[in-house]
Amino acid sequence: MKPLYINGLSCISPQPTFGAEFPFEAKRYDSNRLSCIEPDYAPYIDPKASRRMGRLLKYGTTVGLQALRDAGVGSPDAISTGTGFGLLDDSGKFLKNVTEAEEGVVSPTAFIQSTHNTVSSNIALTVGCKGHNNTFVNKGFSFESALLDAQMLAEENAAMKNILVGAYDETTDYSYTIMKRLRLIREQEIANLDLLQTPGSGTIAGEGAAFFLLSTEKVDTYAILHGSEILYKPTSTDKVKFKLEAFLSRNKLVLSDIDIVISGLCGDAKRDEMLGNLNDNYFTAQTILGYKHLCGEYMTSSAFALWLGSMIAKTGSIPAETIIRDSHRLTSNILIYNVYKNDHAFVLLSK
Amino acid sequence: MKTLKVQIVEQLNLQQIKPEDIGDDQPLFVEGLALDSIDALELIVLLQQKYGIKLANPADGPQIFKTVRNIAQYITDNRPK
Amino acid sequence: MKSPIYITGLGVISSIGDNVDQTLDNLRKSRTGVDEIKILHTQLKGTLPLAEIKYTNQELAQISGLETWQTRTAQLSMIAAQEAKDSCKIDYSEWRCGFISANTVGGMDRTEDFFKEFIVDNSKGDLHDVVNHDSGDATEIVADKLGMTDYVTTISTACSSSANAIMFGARLIHNDIVDIVIAGGTDSLSRFTLNGFKSLMILDDKPCMPFDENRKGLNLGEGAGYVVLVSERVMKAEGLTPLAMLSGYANANDAYHQTASSPEGNGNYQAMKGALDMTGLEPSAINYINVHGTGTPNNDVSEGMAIMRLFGEKPPVFSSTKAYTGHTLAASGGIEAVLSILAIQHGLIFPNLRFTTQMKEHTFSPQVSLIEGSKVDHVLSNSFGFGGNCSSLIFSKA
Repeated sequence: MKPLYINGLSCISPQPTFGAEFPFEAKRYDSNRLSCIEPDYAPYIDPKASRRMGRLLKYGTTVGLQALRDAGVGSPDAISTGTGFGLLDDSGKFLKNVTEAEEGVVSPTAFIQSTHNTVSSNIALTVGCKGHNNTFVNKGFSFESALLDAQMLAEENAAMKNILVGAYDETTDYSYTIMKRLRLIREQEIANLDLLQTPGSGTIAGEGAAFFLLSTEKVDTYAILHGSEILYKPTSTDKVKFKLEAFLSRNKLVLSDIDIVISGLCGDAKRDEMLGNLNDNYFTAQTILGYKHLCGEYMTSSAFALWLGSMIAKTGSIPAETIIRDSHRLTSNILIYNVYKNDHAFVLLSK
Repeated sequence: MKTLKVQIVEQLNLQQIKPEDIGDDQPLFVEGLALDSIDALELIVLLQQKYGIKLANPADGPQIFKTVRNIAQYITDNRPK
Repeated sequence: MKSPIYITGLGVISSIGDNVDQTLDNLRKSRTGVDEIKILHTQLKGTLPLAEIKYTNQELAQISGLETWQTRTAQLSMIAAQEAKDSCKIDYSEWRCGFISANTVGGMDRTEDFFKEFIVDNSKGDLHDVVNHDSGDATEIVADKLGMTDYVTTISTACSSSANAIMFGARLIHNDIVDIVIAGGTDSLSRFTLNGFKSLMILDDKPCMPFDENRKGLNLGEGAGYVVLVSERVMKAEGLTPLAMLSGYANANDAYHQTASSPEGNGNYQAMKGALDMTGLEPSAINYINVHGTGTPNNDVSEGMAIMRLFGEKPPVFSSTKAYTGHTLAASGGIEAVLSILAIQHGLIFPNLRFTTQMKEHTFSPQVSLIEGSKVDHVLSNSFGFGGNCSSLIFSKA
């Protein structure tokens, strides 16, 4: 499939990624739950509309609109998004109301907002985009499915020039408590910047939103998105290598062409086993970067990684706190390799 | 009507509006406050939770919720004794 | 136009049958699945009807082969997807196979049980009830069991979800990412959804009357429906007989309101028009429209207006089968795809049950009795949802 140009982007995360300088100075947290640094939403969302919106709907919508503004595109031809849990806070709120009212009278607003497609349809509503609109909700594949959706649209229909793609998730008090009980989160509080240097049991919780305006035309572009590939439950590193090499070769590259690997290490020794092994024994010539200590672990964190990769491709600079191993390579070809439980995914971009 | 205005602002989360800024006869929907159909559902919830009045047909909403005075009148007429 | 996508297998479970044969039988006999509440644990029992599948989760687990604690959403998905897979004589191991599902509730049916204890004391509640909460979970469980994991994903665009899953599946084949896809959707009933729709005041407390002047709202239902999509290459190599082709599809957004359709049904029109344009057919070539027809005042007006705009004052024969199955949300596009293909296969047009009075906004009314032995070559199936998500699929005789 034809590559697409990333002509606009935006990211709200627990780091100063929204409208700040790049490379940014990484923010240190001493808690196992990282929350987004929220901007003033007024330039993006009419206060009358925002009164019913939860946090995720606000930052998701804002990032989507900013990616469009960044690219100078009023309304895209299509919107495709991914989210692991959707609007979890509204789901929790409505569930609490129904449970406490014992199914008596409850307000409908949280229910309306709890639908997974709320962010993507709210952006469509705001900019009047009447084209294709999709929302994928498959754990670690959610964002990559949206990327593929966009790439296939551009392939199928020459009129599809600008496609807005993004992903968003939130951590709530309920979900954090449950993740802790499931022992997905570190028992002891750990400083986020130390997470990847001290593997243990569990990770830290995160959240965020990142959107990209993907275009068939190159206009003041950040990076070229070649494609993405998903691997469900690969049973061995050999299977990963086989898939990756086929993926690279479809994009006319070989492993040695890759300069940077943005690796989805999450600090959980068991979950990082395969990635760590590949970083040590396979991606030996590449610069290895980590990112989950900056945004925390969540199902669509690879969208943060794509934002990071795009900024690196554009500026040629790498935020110091992301470097796990510096092989002093160029910043031309960047591979994102994310793992969320059984879901492994590659995204390939270049300068 | 003063209490009612406070309740409306709270139920609809009208952050930018002070209860005293809402006129007794100011239109609430379309023009004026420009509330929408979801707000109408919220007002139905308000009537039921705070005043014990059950409005069975949402289609009656626009008439009843025209202004604060209309709502107050409806409450006086329909409040369970 | 690329080479066609063929449908070679079907699987369905809903309130009108555990499989394709039972479903067809009940459709023919005009037997509705809408009934008083019997299975769902809810305070609303006795106040309104639902279209439930009359099995407890334990009973479903016996049919699906999943664990009893796994979500009802996954159980329903497993049963229908397995039926679809088994209905085709394909050596699946020879091909790249994907499973594309859709749902809106995920594991909410278990999460809400968990929540009863959890909100009182957050160290309480059985974690088994909450581990399968996210929507992708049901999909991955079923994909594993089917052994179809070369591409796995889930779509959630409210009530148009599984139409979009079928569309995405077809596009994966067109773009040579996989050869075979099982695509469709699933949703189970939960107190969360039931009370959500109740708070929107769009539930009918009697069996629903789609496209009727006196309609009051929808009845919720549950179920799952899947189709097996294959490329022409697979069909020939495996010597399969296609049941139908997926000849057109389109996804559009109404961009009008978060929960309501524009009165003139702009998104609905764009979706239907887009699908029709893709087939290259004239509107008059459509023999039957399986409408979205939820029975809410808003949907049926908008959908009818859009039909009038596209097809004129005398549109093709149409009916809403939601009077049989209830509105099964993310499963509806999958279930109705199965019904549309059954219509083509057996020359049937299903009645719009309980219809009596034509809507004053429209110049037409739905089909009220079963038509047999009809020429059904092209069927349009509509799925429209919250957030303005509108999708239409066209199935054609292969």
